[in-house]
Amino acid sequence: MNLLSKVSIQAQAMAREIDDETVILDLGSGTYFGLDAVGSRIWQLMTEGATLGAICDAIVATYDVSRSDVERDVLELARSLLARKLIDVS
Amino acid sequence: MRKLRPVAGVELHIASARTQAPFDCGPLHEWDSPDPEARTLLYRTNTGYLVRYPALADFEVACEGTSVRYWPVPGVASELIPFLYANQVLPFASARRGRVVLHGSAVEVGGAGVAFIGGSGRGKSTLAASFATSGYRFLADDHLIIECTGAGENLIVPVDPSIRLWEDSRQALMGGAVHGAQTSAGTPKAHLPAQGGIAFCPESRPLRWIGFLGADESEGPEIQRMNRRDVVIELLRNSLFLDNEDRPWLAAHFNRLAVIAEGTACYRLDYPRRFDHLRNVRSAIVGHTRVGAEPE
Repeated sequence: MNLLSKVSIQAQAMAREIDDETVILDLGSGTYFGLDAVGSRIWQLMTEGATLGAICDAIVATYDVSRSDVERDVLELARSLLARKLIDVS
Repeated sequence: MRKLRPVAGVELHIASARTQAPFDCGPLHEWDSPDPEARTLLYRTNTGYLVRYPALADFEVACEGTSVRYWPVPGVASELIPFLYANQVLPFASARRGRVVLHGSAVEVGGAGVAFIGGSGRGKSTLAASFATSGYRFLADDHLIIECTGAGENLIVPVDPSIRLWEDSRQALMGGAVHGAQTSAGTPKAHLPAQGGIAFCPESRPLRWIGFLGADESEGPEIQRMNRRDVVIELLRNSLFLDNEDRPWLAAHFNRLAVIAEGTACYRLDYPRRFDHLRNVRSAIVGHTRVGAEPE
């Protein structure tokens, strides 16, 4: 997985936005977790088929954070979602 | 044997007794039964679901929850059956009809409903009983049913007029023997019908606020606002009768939880789990309700 990777959301992930945050229900395991506002924006961009690099561009443009921090956080979230089988990577 | 209680919106068909034929596949779920003497197995059928209490009874619930067919096991007339029907089968049918069924209790304060949600052992029943024996009425114990009316109001729908209490709670709140109290064999919890000193509200009430019960980590009653994302997660955690294979139903359920979170003031409620604190806890809850718990 790298910044050129594009992710696709797996069918077992069911997400619901609430305010500017997101709750994701993993239908495969029956578990669920929440994403804060930044995590929610990353998830939304993933659902739109953006590459991880493009997602980083969008986050940097919106929030006052360093590029390196954003890349680290985006890759970490993507790895976590991949480990839960909630996304697939191409 | 007490008759199965008729409920509006659910057609009940009582069929002839039959032996329980085995299924080709395993159960979809095995639920915690409200009585440890009775296992609860859930199977999917062509028309809905079968709730099986081995050696006791089968209940087939239509997919939309609008009808229930009951087959007793030949030669069995257990008092458990009406109790299981009222406390598990009917709530399951409610969930299939689009109501939200949660692990919780609820009481009526000033004409409004206040709900207490949390896992086993958090004190939901004791808290509800403390209200019901102190001039208030309880709406639910164990299964909390919320109906999202779509008109911006969420209603607490009363379930079975009974409370189950551990013996120490029963003694602390009610002293001596309670008429009609039954203790199921193998469980220290007494099943107390609403009568005499326990007041039950049989009508739906608008949901004013929800208290998610904390883990007894505070020195006094604490009521702290929660954000909506955490509320949805807690509602999911305490949802009953989820079928992970019924995606349309699950998506609708998820949306209903969001509607509840968006339209209801929700708080983390914690207090010392000591009987001599219950009066203060009730005062705090009543005061918070009257001041005006409002959604953000």
